[in-house]
Amino acid sequence: MLLQGTPCFYLVVLIGEYMSKGKVLGVILIILLIVFIVFTRKGLFGKGDVAEEQNRYTATFIDIFDTRTEIVGYAPTEDEFSKKATALREELINYNNLYDIYNDYEGVNNIKTINDNAGVQPVVVDEKIIDLLKFSKEMYAATDGRVNIAMGSVLSIWHRYREAGVDDPENAKLPPIEDLKAAAEHTDIENLIIDETAKTVYLQDPEMSLDVGSTAKGYAAQKTMEFARAQGYSNMLLSLGGNIAGIDGRIDGTPFRLGIQNPDMDSDVDYIKKVDIKDGQCVVSSGDYQRYYEVDGKRYCHIINPDTLFPSDTFAQVSIITDDSGMADAFSTALYNMTIEDGLEFVNTNDNIEAMWVYADGSIVYSDNFEQYLVD
Amino acid sequence: MKRNDIILIAVLLVVSIGLLIGVNIYRKNNTSGSAKVEVTVDGKVYGTYPLDEDRQERIELADGSYNILKISDGKASVIEASCPDKICVNTADIHYTDETIVCLPNKVVVKIVNGEENDVDGMTR
Repeated sequence: MLLQGTPCFYLVVLIGEYMSKGKVLGVILIILLIVFIVFTRKGLFGKGDVAEEQNRYTATFIDIFDTRTEIVGYAPTEDEFSKKATALREELINYNNLYDIYNDYEGVNNIKTINDNAGVQPVVVDEKIIDLLKFSKEMYAATDGRVNIAMGSVLSIWHRYREAGVDDPENAKLPPIEDLKAAAEHTDIENLIIDETAKTVYLQDPEMSLDVGSTAKGYAAQKTMEFARAQGYSNMLLSLGGNIAGIDGRIDGTPFRLGIQNPDMDSDVDYIKKVDIKDGQCVVSSGDYQRYYEVDGKRYCHIINPDTLFPSDTFAQVSIITDDSGMADAFSTALYNMTIEDGLEFVNTNDNIEAMWVYADGSIVYSDNFEQYLVD
Repeated sequence: MKRNDIILIAVLLVVSIGLLIGVNIYRKNNTSGSAKVEVTVDGKVYGTYPLDEDRQERIELADGSYNILKISDGKASVIEASCPDKICVNTADIHYTDETIVCLPNKVVVKIVNGEENDVDGMTR
């Protein structure tokens, strides 16, 4: 019956020799009960007759939006989780290819195709591009022009100088202001013509170009989370390069807890604050600490203020909590380019947006209701 | 109470305590006792190193680029790399499960497996 030599074996022998049949049955039942309790409490049955155990998994991808993508979720087995993660990844790769401004993809008309045809001809594009561009125009209006995807001409100059400066820090240079001003003549978003009937996009100004860096990633994250919900996925967290959005919370019913990156990268403290988010909320930070280069010891980040045509340096970081990833991305960029007064007014007069500003010296300003999300 | 009842109770106790200890040892060996640093290059596992042994590992790529992984005091970090942006070097050291250091240009991901549980589920960047 059981392995010879084990305590169980001796027990059976013992029972057989000294006890009545009724007692034997009772004792066996007690043993089974003990075994059952011990194993279920310790979760050895995992999947099967007892309640299915949900394990936590994280998938990391590095081939989307030139950043790292992390998906956290729960499933009984890694295979089941991988299926979900792969489905989300495929969605994201599709958005990545459509919204790319640097690379061509065979058989795909993307934002780069639109830029290449500026002043030449309208380009037939996927609905997802039309939707992003319409959303970006809404963000332009909502932020008083501080989020302008038609700034490609200016941003590409900064991109060139930054790449060169990172490759060869000794000879890092700032772009001449005349060049930036000349480029800024070609940033009128009204010259972005969307024809929804013909499904075409046309840039009327041959010298203009689109840079969707401030909206595309967040918009794709938002749409991908909506896709995940439509698939019936629950208890998930998607981080697209630090733009994080959640469905539900952790499997145990507690909310997802997110760390907000400390803008002081030399510090031993990883997170400057921690926040708990509700179902459907997202958090994103904009700052001068990830993509930047230095000229004469001064840091120049990748967020360019449309008014000055130079990187803003008022804040080390601005973080947003809201319920739409696309808006979160756009608004954090916009706030980074605003004064604290304008930013506070913007946030406090809009529903469902909260913000936290961090200055280079580490001092912090919160919007009216940000602190309710803080933990510790 | 008969002598046999006492023996029975004793045996039952030994069996259940034995099971508890056994299961606990099993659990321990499969979790925190064996925290590891997993390095992948372009999605393929390059190497796995115990988090509790100090070492330096040069991650060599076919095209000559590299990242140097340092494990010390139970934490992993990238201390040197051939990539232009150095974001991996600037990333804080890691030791919680699923924490990562990513080098996008080299497609290198350093990830903690079976480590201590983190109290945050993600972070903004």
